[in-house]
Amino acid sequence: MTIHPMDRRAFIAGAAAAGGLALTRPVWAKGGVTAAIYPGSWDDAYRSIVLPALKRAHDVDLDMQPLFALDQIAKVKAARRAPPFDVFVLDPGPRVTGINDGLFEKFDSKKLTNISKLPEGLADEWGVTVAAQVVGIAYNPKKVPAPKGWADLFKEPWVSRLGLTGFQTTYGTVSIVEIAKVFGGSDTNVEPFFTEIKKVLPSVASVGGPAAMPSLFQQGQCDVMYTNTQTVTTLRSRGVDIEFVKPETGAIAFFTTMHITKGAAEPANAYKYIDTVISKDVQAALMKAPNYFIPANKEVELVDLPMKNLDEMSQYVRHDWSKLNPLREGWIERFNKEVAK
Amino acid sequence: MSLAVAAGVERAGGTGPGVRWAEWQLALPLLLAFLAFFVGPLLILVVVSAFGDEKITLVNFAMWRKFLNDPFYWKVTGNTVKLGFLTVAATLLVGYPLALVYLAARPSVQRLLLFIVILPLLTSVVVRTFAWIVILGREGVVNSVAMGLGLVPAPLRLLQTELGLVIALTQIEMPLMLLPLLSVMNRIDPNLRDASEALGASKWRTLFRVTLPLSLPGLVAGCVLVFASSTTAFISQSIIGGNRLVYLPLLIWQESLVVYNWPLASVAALTLLISVTAAIAAISLLGRRGMRHLHA
Repeated sequence: MTIHPMDRRAFIAGAAAAGGLALTRPVWAKGGVTAAIYPGSWDDAYRSIVLPALKRAHDVDLDMQPLFALDQIAKVKAARRAPPFDVFVLDPGPRVTGINDGLFEKFDSKKLTNISKLPEGLADEWGVTVAAQVVGIAYNPKKVPAPKGWADLFKEPWVSRLGLTGFQTTYGTVSIVEIAKVFGGSDTNVEPFFTEIKKVLPSVASVGGPAAMPSLFQQGQCDVMYTNTQTVTTLRSRGVDIEFVKPETGAIAFFTTMHITKGAAEPANAYKYIDTVISKDVQAALMKAPNYFIPANKEVELVDLPMKNLDEMSQYVRHDWSKLNPLREGWIERFNKEVAK
Repeated sequence: MSLAVAAGVERAGGTGPGVRWAEWQLALPLLLAFLAFFVGPLLILVVVSAFGDEKITLVNFAMWRKFLNDPFYWKVTGNTVKLGFLTVAATLLVGYPLALVYLAARPSVQRLLLFIVILPLLTSVVVRTFAWIVILGREGVVNSVAMGLGLVPAPLRLLQTELGLVIALTQIEMPLMLLPLLSVMNRIDPNLRDASEALGASKWRTLFRVTLPLSLPGLVAGCVLVFASSTTAFISQSIIGGNRLVYLPLLIWQESLVVYNWPLASVAALTLLISVTAAIAAISLLGRRGMRHLHA
């Protein structure tokens, strides 16, 4: 039996109707915008820096909904006709899903006054980059020597101190892809990773969910892991012995982008919000302690980062998520089966 | 879960069959909320699980076939139920003696014990779970003490093992076992124990023939609550258990929120519902057998 896609949409909308009651938006007196934001460091940083800056610059009130990228997609999919927020903040994988599923309005970067301060290619017809992430290897210099590259993770003395996480996150997925490449795989073939992991799995220190990894490292449960520079700087600021290594095959870079939700209630304010986010002062403040974001604005002077300027990132390893996305479900299932006890 | 308990309470309280309409009206808001927010979504879940593709267009039960034909998913389901039973056994083993201590204690000590029992409920499950990372970790409290005393040569692996998870869940779920148990045990007439001992029964015999059977209703309610709560404890399972221990809640989260395969997520959710309900029914049945044995 086949059901017309429209029925499915109506069906999901109906299913979401009950949930929709909980998604009522605030009514703005003057002008406001509702933006999804990653929980944790993003939420804290944006609340203390972007919220007052937006109020000052445009007299627009910012209401933030803390949601992980995948939750944002799921929520907007479920409540298509009345999206719960105006602006998405997404990693490359979910961004491709959003484009494919038609969840974004077309983006006009000319409406941003600060667009010229971004390096070339950071804005397109769907959205604009607001931060970068650099992923590599983190290790505890008091416990293990510095690893040189991805292959070292599967050798002693690192493998018995290794903390692994799977394909649920962007940084986990791209790290595993890079490991697979070192052992002969490619962007679309992670088979070598599974072959190698099978050999060393009994000695691996821990396999954890992404949210648990920083705690596991802090508690000495593992002393080597793949992660982004932000986690490294944050842990170091809390007194954890941790150093970042660019693997010899290159550190991985990916961008966090913002998008305007299809059917957004406050599109004009959404542009004002994004313009504020990429402004020099906000980007500079976001880079400092305790936030440690990698800025997207090239006028910001970089501090405590593995690169001297943003252009250097063009040499970092990038991934085509339109190729990775369709394979991810299979990879997650495979990871479950291979590592499960 | 709450239904089973509620039904048990109703039987015990002896509400007659002649409940009048006026009384039904009082329950109406709850009934409507229950229909709208539980029965409705549950039906949607059942319908979604019948679809065979992620776009939800094709009804062919493909996800059910995929799930039921894959030994991996059977293992995950089995491990989830096993985790529930292990946690129930551990909370019983630790909780029942504590309940006996409570029963024998002075009222002031009883109040203190009750406060300690409830204490875990007053902190967020996230905080409790992360605290267990600190306790069970490689450089955690348990390992530091054990190595400091020279009991073990190398750190024990506790975190991300089934044993570690059961230890943590035992503490986290303990209030759910103890609260019904204490309330039932408090109502046992102390004269019955005195009579048993006066008639020459040993303390052990009194425990097994008088106290234990009379506390069965509380015991069963506690087991049901602990079982249901531990099999669905997503945060504790994923943070303390790690990703090498795959349980149904982790699978549901991955399928629904990471890969958007809602039909497969629905199948996993219904499997969890069915297996937990079946296990709870088994626990209740055993409990009722025990009670019938008592009255016979």
